[in-house]
Amino acid sequence: MTTNKIEIKDLTVNYIENKRSFNALHDVSFGVADGEFVSVIGASGCGKSTLLSVLEGLYAPAGGTVQIDGKELRGTGTERGVVFQHYSLFPWMTTKKNIEFGIKQARKDVKRGDRSRIADEYLTKVGLDGFGSKYPSQLSGGMQQRAAIARALAMNTEILLMDEPFSAIDPKNRVILQELLLKLWEGDGSEPRKTVVFVTHDIDEAILLSDKIVVLTAHPGTVNEVVNVPFDRPRKRDELVRTDEYSKFRNRLLSLLYNDIAERIGGDEVVL
Amino acid sequence: MTIKKRYLRIAHILFIALLLIQLLPDQATYPVYTSLLVRFAVGTEIVVLIASALVKKEESLALLVDIAGFLFVFLAIWSLVTAKYNYLNPQLFPAPGKIVHQFVVDREKIWTNVRSSLLTIIKGFVLATAVAVPLGLFIGWSARVGSAATYITKFFSSIPPIVYIPYGIALLPTFKSVSVFVIFLATFWPVFAGTMSGVLGVDKKIIDSAKVLNVGKLETLFKVILPASLQQIFLGCNQGLSVSFILLTSAEMIAAKDGMGYYVKYYSDFGDYTRTITGLLVIGFVVIGVTFLFNKLQNRLLKWKH
Repeated sequence: MTTNKIEIKDLTVNYIENKRSFNALHDVSFGVADGEFVSVIGASGCGKSTLLSVLEGLYAPAGGTVQIDGKELRGTGTERGVVFQHYSLFPWMTTKKNIEFGIKQARKDVKRGDRSRIADEYLTKVGLDGFGSKYPSQLSGGMQQRAAIARALAMNTEILLMDEPFSAIDPKNRVILQELLLKLWEGDGSEPRKTVVFVTHDIDEAILLSDKIVVLTAHPGTVNEVVNVPFDRPRKRDELVRTDEYSKFRNRLLSLLYNDIAERIGGDEVVL
Repeated sequence: MTIKKRYLRIAHILFIALLLIQLLPDQATYPVYTSLLVRFAVGTEIVVLIASALVKKEESLALLVDIAGFLFVFLAIWSLVTAKYNYLNPQLFPAPGKIVHQFVVDREKIWTNVRSSLLTIIKGFVLATAVAVPLGLFIGWSARVGSAATYITKFFSSIPPIVYIPYGIALLPTFKSVSVFVIFLATFWPVFAGTMSGVLGVDKKIIDSAKVLNVGKLETLFKVILPASLQQIFLGCNQGLSVSFILLTSAEMIAAKDGMGYYVKYYSDFGDYTRTITGLLVIGFVVIGVTFLFNKLQNRLLKWKH
């Protein structure tokens, strides 16, 4: 039996807001295999971001376990690269300095002099050639996220955690960024793929990118279903979305997401 | 910029008007040093012309030229009502040339006083900032005492620092040290308060970013929290700096043996209003100069904000 890279078991998280504790996640269990791309989707408030906070080590669970490579997860660590929706980069550092800082934190073996070269290399990879000396505030939202991805990749971690990284980007650039991420992650086969946990509320994004999709149900957040994405790689968006299989699969996911909501609100009058 | 935009400015016409006015006969009965005023005006015009040739940004040049224009108008009116037509009491309103003359005569004395004041300010200000910023970072960072400290700071910063002077005199051996002490207090509280409010206002997402990069506690404080709260810190510094000048000059007028406030007070006691006005103008220029340099520093350190 192969062990998963990330193993989440009976995870329960309580959130405290206005002195009242509520159950954000309840008995959540799933595994992520080595080199697998897993998306977590769900309606807003289902605890998907909370789940990622736990994986990032920013939030301690009330119950259950999270194991990485068979070891209990404790706190934050630079073996996990993280991309947030906002403020992944430090605004007072130039784009390149941000990447160099990430390398410095995560790769103690890299010599000081090599950081600059590696940073440039990853800036090129994400299409930000020549933008290294710009501050994040001088970049568009899409470019900031490219830089954040460049930093996470430059840190050379085996695991990548992405918390709605493209949600704040306009639709056109979002598509471009999804394809960039897909290309970078799929690679050319020369290097092992990274293990990715990707949180999103965009179904098409999840299908395009993932091997497996975890659908969460809200209040409290529980796993509704874990669905394998049946499409071959490398994937091409244009070809993929035109197929009947895609529509069928998409509808299935939609019903998983929305049946749940409809049930809760109470039946037929719900229009979505 | 076109040549027209660079050099065809109303300020130059005002400059020529000012020179023409100086050709009028002097009616004042005391020496008015018209030639010195002319030299000052010509010097200003030369600076403006050099700037016109060198400055790249159109707005900055326009600003400079306009300020010079105002200066020329002001000097023209001033010399008309004093030297030229003798409308005003010469004792209270000396001619502009006389001020320039006084400045030239007293330049060494003025420099000594300016230096003394600046050194006092720098000592008090730097000391206060060096203590207030790290302390504000540490206390603001530990959320529990942070809010208590905010209230305590509010109390202490509500005390006008000038009232510390008598106590300072009792406490400290020299008047210089009292001045430094008072400036220290005047700067410390706003900078401390600014730092704390900066720290408390740092976006949680930025701190999360630092955490997931495993940035150490102390490094987070100085490499993440500090730059993230820099704007608020500068707000406090600016406040401290302007209050410091008010305080120092007031204090110097009370008891000092040198300094810019001393110069003004000393000569006004003798009814020497030429020196009083000279002193006032020098103080104005010094404060403007220091504020300008401080703003430059601020803009450089906060370059990433814009």
